[in-house]
Amino acid sequence: MERLLALWAEPLSQERSDGSTLRDYLRVLEVVGELCPFVEPIRLGLCTLPLRGPSRFFGGDEAVLAAVRQSVRDLLDLGVCLGVAEGLFCAELAARHEVVVAVGETTVFRRSQPLSALGHKELTTTGRRLGLYTVGDFADLDGARVAERFSATVRVLHRVARGELAELPGQRDIRLAARLRSARGEDVVRNEQMGFFGQRSAGDDRAQAAAHRVRHRLGLESVLVARLSAGRVPEDRSSLAPWGSPSRDLLDDAPWPGRLAGPTPMISLRHPVVLEVRDATGASVRMGARGSLSATPTTLILVHSPPRTIVWFAGPWPLVERWWASGRRRAHVQVLLDSGEAMLLCAEAGRWWLVGVYD
Amino acid sequence: MATLRPVALAKSRTITLAEPWASLAPGRGLRRGTTVLVHAQPGLGGLSVALSLLSDASSQGHWSAVVGVDDPGVVAMSDLGVDLRRVLFVPRPRSAWAEAAADLLDGVDLLIVRPPSRAAYGAARKLMNRVRERGTILIALTEPSAPWPLPVDLSFHLTSSRWIMSSRLDARYVTLRVGGRGEAAHRGEHVVIVPDTRGRAVAR
Repeated sequence: MERLLALWAEPLSQERSDGSTLRDYLRVLEVVGELCPFVEPIRLGLCTLPLRGPSRFFGGDEAVLAAVRQSVRDLLDLGVCLGVAEGLFCAELAARHEVVVAVGETTVFRRSQPLSALGHKELTTTGRRLGLYTVGDFADLDGARVAERFSATVRVLHRVARGELAELPGQRDIRLAARLRSARGEDVVRNEQMGFFGQRSAGDDRAQAAAHRVRHRLGLESVLVARLSAGRVPEDRSSLAPWGSPSRDLLDDAPWPGRLAGPTPMISLRHPVVLEVRDATGASVRMGARGSLSATPTTLILVHSPPRTIVWFAGPWPLVERWWASGRRRAHVQVLLDSGEAMLLCAEAGRWWLVGVYD
Repeated sequence: MATLRPVALAKSRTITLAEPWASLAPGRGLRRGTTVLVHAQPGLGGLSVALSLLSDASSQGHWSAVVGVDDPGVVAMSDLGVDLRRVLFVPRPRSAWAEAAADLLDGVDLLIVRPPSRAAYGAARKLMNRVRERGTILIALTEPSAPWPLPVDLSFHLTSSRWIMSSRLDARYVTLRVGGRGEAAHRGEHVVIVPDTRGRAVAR
C-alpha cells in the first residue's frame, strides 16, 4: 500500500451555501499541487499525496509536512491536520490524530484504532456486545464467521480492518471530480470520468461495468487508467491513477524540449528500485559533477539477484531541474545486458535506480 | 485524436491488424473468441509484441484491459499507437489474476494477461472457454519458466532479439516463430522491428 500524506481541514468539510468551501478547497489543492503534482482530492476537506517522491526531494517526511503546512497557512490562515500512513483509510485517521506513522507500523496503528473508526454504527454496537473494541479485534475474526453474521458492507469493512483493502467504501466522494472541474470552469462533458468522450457508447458502458466488478473483487485501487503529461523523461510523463479518480493533466502529450530521444521503456517502474553499478575493478560507478561517469559500467547488481553483465551503455544524459525549492539533479543511462535485456537507469543523489525495462 | 467508431465494428468477427502483424496472422487479424499466445524470455520484447497487437484494436475504438503487467510504460504504449483512453490496467492481481481476467472479459474486446506464476490447467481452460463464449480475444503473455498449459489458436514465440544502437538504443529486431491451430499452423519465422526509433512496430 502506498504511503500517503493526508491533509484534513475540518472547516472545509462542511459546505457553506455561498460556495466558498469548494473554492477554498480548490485553492488548497492548488497550493499543495505546487509542492507535489500528484495531490489527489478525496472529498471536501480531505486530500492526499503520495509521500515517497516528495520526501526524497525535501529531505524527509517532516520537511514535506512543514512545507505543506506552511503553504496552506500562508494561503488561507487555516490550521490543517496532517498525518502519514499507508493506504487511504489509515492516512485519514493519521491526519485526524496528527501522527506520522512510521514505515512498517501502519498495521499496528490500524489495529489499535477503536472499532468506531470503521464508521459503521451497527458494527460498533454489535462489536461491543461481542467484546470487539478495536479494529484489530475485528480483523482477527475469521472471515467465514463475518460472512455468516454480517452484511456485505461489513464484510468489506472486515477486509479494510485486515489491511486487504486500502480504503473504506464511500471514503471518496465520487462526484467531487466533476464538481472541481466545473468550479475550475473546465469542460465537464469532455473530461467525464474515464470516458473523455463527447458521447458514450454501449462499449464504454460495458467496460465501466467490468471495471466496477474488478474493483469490487480486488479493491478500490486495483483498476488503473493511464495519463500522459508533459515532461522530459518517461517516469515523469506517465502516471497511472485509480480508475474513477479525478484527472489532472489528461493525455497532454505535447512535445517537450529536452525529451529523451529514441524508444521508451515498455516497463516504467512506478517505484524505482535501487541498484548498484560497478566497473571492471568492482568499484562503484559514480556520476561526476560535470555529468560524466567515473568509469565504464560493466556490472549491474539488483538486490536479491546475481550480478548481471553490462555489454554496452549509452549516456549519461543529465537533467538539471528546478524541482520545487531544491535543484534536482538526475542523469539517465541506458544499459544492454549480455542476456539481451535493455534497461534505463537513473543516477540521483549518489545512487542508481532502475527506472525502466525495454521489454 | 482519431475519430472513434466503436459501434460499427463491435459485431465483426475479426479485429483487423495493421502491418507488421497483418501479414503474420491468418485472415490479417485477430479472430474473436480465440486465444493468442506471446511467449518470450522476460525482458526481450514479449511485452512490446503483446501491447503492439493491442494498438490496432484500441485505435479502432475497441476497449482492452491489461492484467498482471505491473508497471506498464504508458509513454511507450502511446508511442506504439495504443489509445490509452480505452485501456484498463489491473497490475499486481496476484493470485486473483484469473478471476480479474474473467471479470474483464465481459467488458472489453481484447484482454492481455501476464500470469504472475504458472497458469493452472483448469484456470486456463476456463478462461479460454469463456473467451470463446464471449467473443473476446485473449492474449496470454508467458515466459519459459511458466508456459501456458494449453494449445492456443495463434502463437508468437520470440526466439531471439537484437538491439541496434548508435549513441543510444535505436531499434530492436525481434524474431518470432508464428504457429497455432488450423490456418495458423507453421507460419514460419519472421522478423519484426519493435520498437523502432519512434517506438512503433514495423516490418523489416
